Amino acid sequence: MAKMPEPKNAGLRIERFDYRVVYQKCGRAKYISHLDLMRAMQRAIKRSKLPIWYTQGFNPHIYIMFPLTLSLGFESRAEVMDFALVENLPFEEVKERLDEQLPEGMKLLSCARPVHSHTEIAFAEYNIRFSADRPPAECMRLFEDFLSRDKIEIEKRTKKKTVNLVDIRPSVNVTRLDCDSRYVYLTVVLPAGGSFNLNANTVIETFMNMYFLTEDEICIERTKIMIDTGENFT
Amino acid sequence: MEEIKQKLEKILLKVRQPARYIGGEIGSVVKDRSKTDVRFAFCFPDTYDVGMSHLGMKILYGLKNSVPNWWCERVFMPENDFEEKMRENGIPLYGLESLDPIKDFDFIGFTLQYELSYNNVLQMLDLAGLPVLSKDRKQLAPIVVGGGPCVCNPEPIADFFDLFILGEGEEVNMELLSLYEKMKPQAPSKEEFLREAAKIEGIYVPSFYDVSYNDDGTVKAVTPNVPEAPARVKKRIISDLDKVYYPESFVVPFSQIVHDRSVVEVLRGCIRGCRFCQAGFIYRPFREKSIDTVKRETKCLCEQTGYEEVSLSSLSTSDHTQINQLLESLTEYTDREQVNLSLPSLRLDTFSEELMEKLQTVRKSGLTFAPEAGTQRLRDVINKNITEDEIMRTCRIAFRGGYTQVKLYFMLGLPTETDEDIKGIADLAERVLDLYYQTPKEQRARTIQISISTATFVPKPFTPFEFEPQATSDEIRRKQEYLRSCIKSRKIRLSTHVSGTSVLEAVLARGDRRLCKAVYAAWKKGCYLDGWDEHFKFDRWTEAFEECGIDTSFYANRLRSYDEIAPWSHLDYLVSHEFFVRENKKAHAALTTRNCKEGCSGCGIKAECGGVYCGKNA
Repeated sequence: MAKMPEPKNAGLRIERFDYRVVYQKCGRAKYISHLDLMRAMQRAIKRSKLPIWYTQGFNPHIYIMFPLTLSLGFESRAEVMDFALVENLPFEEVKERLDEQLPEGMKLLSCARPVHSHTEIAFAEYNIRFSADRPPAECMRLFEDFLSRDKIEIEKRTKKKTVNLVDIRPSVNVTRLDCDSRYVYLTVVLPAGGSFNLNANTVIETFMNMYFLTEDEICIERTKIMIDTGENFT
Repeated sequence: MEEIKQKLEKILLKVRQPARYIGGEIGSVVKDRSKTDVRFAFCFPDTYDVGMSHLGMKILYGLKNSVPNWWCERVFMPENDFEEKMRENGIPLYGLESLDPIKDFDFIGFTLQYELSYNNVLQMLDLAGLPVLSKDRKQLAPIVVGGGPCVCNPEPIADFFDLFILGEGEEVNMELLSLYEKMKPQAPSKEEFLREAAKIEGIYVPSFYDVSYNDDGTVKAVTPNVPEAPARVKKRIISDLDKVYYPESFVVPFSQIVHDRSVVEVLRGCIRGCRFCQAGFIYRPFREKSIDTVKRETKCLCEQTGYEEVSLSSLSTSDHTQINQLLESLTEYTDREQVNLSLPSLRLDTFSEELMEKLQTVRKSGLTFAPEAGTQRLRDVINKNITEDEIMRTCRIAFRGGYTQVKLYFMLGLPTETDEDIKGIADLAERVLDLYYQTPKEQRARTIQISISTATFVPKPFTPFEFEPQATSDEIRRKQEYLRSCIKSRKIRLSTHVSGTSVLEAVLARGDRRLCKAVYAAWKKGCYLDGWDEHFKFDRWTEAFEECGIDTSFYANRLRSYDEIAPWSHLDYLVSHEFFVRENKKAHAALTTRNCKEGCSGCGIKAECGGVYCGKNA
């Protein structure tokens, strides 16, 4: 190769101001996968014309970070995205300009400087509504039985491609369990983040398999992301 | 709508990439259905990823929706997993914007981009809950219309459509929908409406024409059977591209599609006249947009969509009369806004160092060229006016610039092709490879990959090769094997293609109305998504042709005489039959024809069509 090219925008704009936004992702937007969401957000930022901070490498790109991914099909009232601007704009302005560009089903709830590091994320809370091939009242009784077990083991793949049995019972913290004529409703706090993450879907699937139920409909909504102390991450 | 939405809720998470089936993308147009008078379902007869990349749809979608009381929605072919769930749950094909069933719309329009998508049209009509045959749809609405390049010979699918739109759609679509809006309150019969529509230039109503045949199976005559139908239907042209509608925003999909970027059309038509290329003739004359227009549209689209990439679209972007100023002016904008500019249709012979500099991104990737034929003789036959020197010059620049991959596209089975021409493909690739090794080490990339990709030549209507027989599958297979045996280096990779699809393409491209029943029979046997290798079922197609008593070689492998009446002879694409005959004769003499820029060759296009070069230096 001839001579090493300079990074495209090296040294142009080093100063950056960090922002953390919280948004909801509901309705049609729940079908946007995580990878698609990255692109959708980059485009929304571009449309908003906010003075976004680009990475300073050979392929400058918009820097955005999602501290906790959301599974495809989940709704959420507490999604978090971090990014940086090269100007110190007021939070309210950033929030308004970005909110205008979000697709249907997504809405910006707040904008602030990040306080906690994403590594501090420890728990997330979910509202779950489901129905199966048996009446909701019966499903609820079965779920109570499920929770009364000493151990609930699931298979978890490790990095070495082996399968470990993990007891998830201590990790499932149900704070509400209810039903009406159509659905069972529950609120549950599960471990989240880098060290141990438990998907809400896994809990419901494990339950259904254990009691030979076939799901009819499952709606899962994330309502809160918390750090170790139970304090709100956002 | 609510009903479909609820049913979708239950199934979407069970299929792959559900975001494709629920709409709600930025830029999609949602209107109040109580305030709309004409509803149009714009169907692309292939999957979302392919269809959403299509520029024509974006233009016509924006255009129709610019009328407040018209509502145009997008519809795509579902993948198998989703289709199965739709049928299980009684969900008819719906528009992505309203989630309303399209069988209740006023128009269902299909864009016909390639022959292998024909059966998807039948499948989509069926999924919508409609009879696939035009004659079985007795009511006024929905009116099933077709447009796009394949409409230059729509005879093999004439029975399924109510009308076709020939040529560029911007004006004629508006005229058609306006006519409908005007007539709808009087509740006309379907025939009454079609008779009025047939008076619009560019509209072809197939049921208004009778086709008779000679004893040898060729077409004897195509005659109109109502006074409103013209003896020849002329394609439509937009004469001034600076005045034509262009969308200010695109629907920006969530899931990744084939061409996921802003696209700005810089010119239409092509000056080159490569003799195998249908697009090179049916999109004539060559017209271009001014720099100001391209710049304005680029800026507007990038801002509205938020895309980080814009590509210039045309048959041959470097033929723009002011290409260098255009790129200078565009890169000034794109560099500032961190937008990548890509030029997918660069011609080999105009590729200059300066041009490459402009497109220089840090990611040095591949160059793709289409010499189409391996020897100069055969390149002259097909009028691909590229010399080997030019190919080498371009590759030299590219290798010095550190490019790591060169893709070379060729066709097998071209008229007059000999084994020497096939060997020429391998030789050419070898010489490109040698050139790489001759490039100083400190300039060239560390490794090189040369890919040869061959397609099978398919003779198309409205080209000088419309008379030519296609090589049979056996011949093609032999040619492929021979080519493989000629390649020595491991740095050269050859990819060929199964020939079943090319045969089908050849049959459908130049077929007549008698093929409709075979298309129907094949669809009944489960043939659709034929453009996808994993779904293509050639054996079922063969069965269908046999059952319908159709000899595919009559359509694909027969040499047609110059005075034979073609199944598409009643359709006028403004380039004259005499010109095609002249060009065919020159091809067999291995004589090239100058391009439009060098001087007019009298293809028949008139100056009033707005072409840059038309009617000059004739």
